[in-house]
Amino acid sequence: MKRLLAATIVLCLLGLQLCGCGGGTKPGDQAKGPEEPKAPEVVKIGHAVALTGDASIWGQSESNALKLWVQKVNEQGGIDGKKIELVTYDTRADSVEAVNVAKRMIEQDKVVAIIGAAQSGVTIAMTAVTEPAKIPLIGTTATNPEVTVKDGAVRPHTFRVCFIDPFQGTVAAQFAATNLGAKTAAVLYDVGSDYSSWLAQYFIEAFEKTGGTIVGKEAFRTGELDYRAMLGKFKEANPDVMFIPTAQKEAALAMKQARDLGYEGKFLGGDNWGSPDIIELGGSAVEGGYFVNLASLEDPDIQDFIAEYKAEFGSDPVLPNPVMAIDALIVLVEAIKKAGSMDGDAIAKAIEEIKDLQALTGKVTYDPDTHNPLNKPAIIQQIKDGQFIYVEKYVTS
Amino acid sequence: MLLQTTITGLAIGGIYALMAVGYSLVFSILNFSNFAHGSVIMLGAYAGYFVLTRAGAPFPVAIAGSMLAGAVIGVANERLAYKPLRVRNARPLYFMISAMGVAIFLENLVYATLGAHFYSYPEVLGRSIVRIGEASIGVLDLFALAFSSVAITGLHLFLQRTKSGLAIRACSFDMTVASVFGIRLDRVVGLVFAIAGALAGLSGVFLGMKYMAYPTMGWITNKAYVAAVIGGLGSLPGAVVGGIALGLLETFVSVYVSSIIRDVFSFSALVLVLLAMPNGLMGKYVEEKI
Repeated sequence: MKRLLAATIVLCLLGLQLCGCGGGTKPGDQAKGPEEPKAPEVVKIGHAVALTGDASIWGQSESNALKLWVQKVNEQGGIDGKKIELVTYDTRADSVEAVNVAKRMIEQDKVVAIIGAAQSGVTIAMTAVTEPAKIPLIGTTATNPEVTVKDGAVRPHTFRVCFIDPFQGTVAAQFAATNLGAKTAAVLYDVGSDYSSWLAQYFIEAFEKTGGTIVGKEAFRTGELDYRAMLGKFKEANPDVMFIPTAQKEAALAMKQARDLGYEGKFLGGDNWGSPDIIELGGSAVEGGYFVNLASLEDPDIQDFIAEYKAEFGSDPVLPNPVMAIDALIVLVEAIKKAGSMDGDAIAKAIEEIKDLQALTGKVTYDPDTHNPLNKPAIIQQIKDGQFIYVEKYVTS
Repeated sequence: MLLQTTITGLAIGGIYALMAVGYSLVFSILNFSNFAHGSVIMLGAYAGYFVLTRAGAPFPVAIAGSMLAGAVIGVANERLAYKPLRVRNARPLYFMISAMGVAIFLENLVYATLGAHFYSYPEVLGRSIVRIGEASIGVLDLFALAFSSVAITGLHLFLQRTKSGLAIRACSFDMTVASVFGIRLDRVVGLVFAIAGALAGLSGVFLGMKYMAYPTMGWITNKAYVAAVIGGLGSLPGAVVGGIALGLLETFVSVYVSSIIRDVFSFSALVLVLLAMPNGLMGKYVEEKI
């Protein structure tokens, strides 16, 4: 019996190993990017993006959008007369693949900077290659705080163009206080999720700063389905808003149960709500709920881009990745212009100094201590008649 | 607040009780914990959903359909997985292992055929609420509580007043002696699984309506199992008392202590009850319990 068990374990481990190796050695160059002789008038920028696999819906759209934008920049004269050449490789949203891709970009293609990846874990893995090579890396939708800051120290050449997850808590709190006129709030979060716990924490800090009162703070464990005990407690205090920064399933159930208990205030959530599931699961209970999102097709500032994209590719871009990648490119172009050199350190320093740069989705200012964009506008959406509607673009104060 | 907490606790406890009865019923006959019960509940939830949405049938038909489906699955489960063990006089431990296998099999069957998608019931009873003084309760909860009480009372009357009920009770004391007196064991066991399955189908519909239907929803029944053990495995009144007590305990702990350590209390209560009363609150006799 013991021997059988040991044999099974060994077999399992072997299986894992094989899978891991398979993932690592497969060529991921579905994307184009043949090596070309270095031409002095070209600025090579790497683009690490998931063109295949689960994340490819966003990845394909991101790649299309970025190519479109590069073409536009080149038509307008490129960077100080030099044309941009985009070197796109497929990461399959896989960390091992992405590290290989980053190596190839740096060693063979000699890119000056890399845009990507969309996934926090993948981006963190890539920094193992880009940081020693001093190549600036700009994550697109990598929202985990640790992408740019490791153990309290900022990674010198790693940036992002999206806001970090917890920032949504700040946005939601200020939106509740200013636009919804909320004086009291209660927070229900998932104690088993970093995302949820941080959002809750940031919301509470920001809401108290606006002069509001937190009348309830309760947590549940991932997988639980009944929150009526906690919600009943909230209802007693009758807060103006309830902030529920959880995944769509839990949020939908919590809203249903809160309405069943007779709560009549407003609901608020984070970008995890942005899935049609929440409407299917929550039915009439989720109507009127507000949530923070990274981007929206109805954002007035990106209408020109959407029209161009549609004209070229025949469909709407799959947000938010395409607009985030374009923001990254705009940041990079500005930094290279300002640095006046292709040196990684100089470009990174120039990015740190970027202030009020008009990118596609709004103004960008970098925080040199965290390499996060400061006060990046967020989108507020609302669930109305079973649809997500655009409410406004919100800039925190 | 006290009233609201009590009402919420009763609503949660009512569902626990309905599920716990299914565990206890099977245990009273075959002396093992039928861990496949949770999966039958899960399938009942799916059955109710499909009858309601795909067939477009009215709500009472959905309840009946899901109870029927639960009964059929329960009997099939017994015939295919437990009867071969029963005729060989296997020890209860093997029944339990077989039950776990069935649970895993059914869960994965749903993953493979229907996928991990969450199915949400349409709002049959609306979102209306009933006010009781300061407190309020959803119509669905009220309905579930009432219907569960009716089902459990009906089962109680069936066991006490009918001949088949008498046969079941006789078997729960001693199967061998009962069979010597001419009770057909196969039929009694089949009947027990049909009843337990129908109750599972019923709880499945209520769980599905309250939350949603998804492949791993069977794990909620862990709590119902705890309730059955607290009440005394094999005892039907015990299952009801255990379910209600657990629902109330959890709700009161969430409200007055902390929601995060709620389960710590539930399982501590289980250990304490078992230490003080090894047969649970209302268990009748001592024997090997698995």
